[in-house]
Amino acid sequence: MIQLFHVCKAYGDEPPTLDDLSLEIGKGEFVWLTGPSGAGKTTLLKMLFCAEVPTSGQILVGGRNVQRLAAAGVPMLRRSIGVVFQDFKLLPHRTVLENVGYALEVLGASDREIEERAIRRLDQVGLRAKARALPKTLSGGEQQRVAIARALVNDPAILLADEPTGNLDPSLTDSILALIFDANARGTTVVVATHDHALLQRHQRRTITLAGGKLISDV
Amino acid sequence: MIFHVAWRLLRRAVINLWRTPLPSLVAVLTMSIALFLGAGFLAALSGARSLLHAWGAEASLTLYLANSATDAQGALLAERVRAGHPELTVQLVERTVALDRLRTDMRDLSSALDGISPSALPLTIELTPQAQMTSTELRKLAAELSRLPDVVDVEYGREWLDKLEELARALRAAGAAATALILGAAILVVANTIRLAVYARRDEIEIMKLVGATDSYVRMPFLLEGVLQGVAGALIALAGLFLVYRVLIPRAQAAFAFTAGAAIGPLLPSRLFALVAFGGAVGLLGSWLAVARFLRK
Repeated sequence: MIQLFHVCKAYGDEPPTLDDLSLEIGKGEFVWLTGPSGAGKTTLLKMLFCAEVPTSGQILVGGRNVQRLAAAGVPMLRRSIGVVFQDFKLLPHRTVLENVGYALEVLGASDREIEERAIRRLDQVGLRAKARALPKTLSGGEQQRVAIARALVNDPAILLADEPTGNLDPSLTDSILALIFDANARGTTVVVATHDHALLQRHQRRTITLAGGKLISDV
Repeated sequence: MIFHVAWRLLRRAVINLWRTPLPSLVAVLTMSIALFLGAGFLAALSGARSLLHAWGAEASLTLYLANSATDAQGALLAERVRAGHPELTVQLVERTVALDRLRTDMRDLSSALDGISPSALPLTIELTPQAQMTSTELRKLAAELSRLPDVVDVEYGREWLDKLEELARALRAAGAAATALILGAAILVVANTIRLAVYARRDEIEIMKLVGATDSYVRMPFLLEGVLQGVAGALIALAGLFLVYRVLIPRAQAAFAFTAGAAIGPLLPSRLFALVAFGGAVGLLGSWLAVARFLRK
């Protein structure tokens, strides 16, 4: 599902953020992406949904070479990927329901379908009661859950999550992870970036470790 | 699917306008002023043209014959003109008739003409176009008739016509320049308003694109905002024009008799629709320029 061949990413004369990275993630796999801050986890995730382009090397997502995608192909690729951003990236002037439904809106779904599916996802993350609230009225943890609901609302083939439990207390962490594991069980390929070692210990899955942009281990 | 997506985008555009009332209002008012002045210039131009036509239609030519020409020679010449120009009403004014007319015109002072011989007046041929003639046609005809034997002068109000034509040309040029200038300003104002809106919502646009929105999907609400601003501006301009037509023009025509011949085209539904469509097009162009620049970055 995801293949990287000798991928490098460098900004100007700075040391490379990613350095000769090659790896493969199969369809339906669950992968932890870990490493210290500045290891290149977020940059790698950004390249997978075309928010960054590699300086060299090749990236294939769902069999498509992301560097060779035409401008019109990028939104199509993104529609098959759910992303949970570290800073949530919620639309500030839209309600929680509208934020979750936006991923369906761009697909051309009807208002009724958007509402039904978004409400279902909000129910799963425990925020149905706040469907009409604006993001700024929610706590950090609640905003994170809205971001997760939005990422999962259109049943994406791939789910990329950048520190999805970073703002959650332990009890919520497990319920959110349960949602992500559930999506994985339904066939979604999942890559979760985290530096929470306790989480990795508790839920042992394939773990890719980066440091200084290099692949340190893949176990 | 197309309809509910279109409806959703339109709804979004209206909400966005509602959220930024002041810049939107400024853009709408600028647009309405530009369209009002532009449409006003066009109407004034059409009025001036119709006034010129009205005055041109009243134009007549008078051929003054040499003193040596006899009534018989005058009659022959009149016949020749009539044969060559069936579009003209030709009337020979014999000297005695001319003197009688003069007496009538002078009314109480007509006694001053006592003792004056008809031979003191020139023999004239009066020509009136049966159909409306342009000033150019009138000028060409006068030049042709002035070459006829015994014709010493042709009178057709040349100076007056020249001035009118000059005025019409100046009006046309000024109208075109002012309209272009004002519309250019309106496009810039709309473009800047939309650019500000785009800039204020740049984070939102980034998020939209990250969840898979195409450039056209991101662009559409902004374009609709431009169109809505243009249409709203056009409707306000229409209200202004309606007032001018209903209140100002009837008063001007009552106050100035010389404008009686001027007929400004009526506010036909097709013209109203054209103005609204034009306003929408100007708004679309302005917003397109703003969004295209942003999305290229």
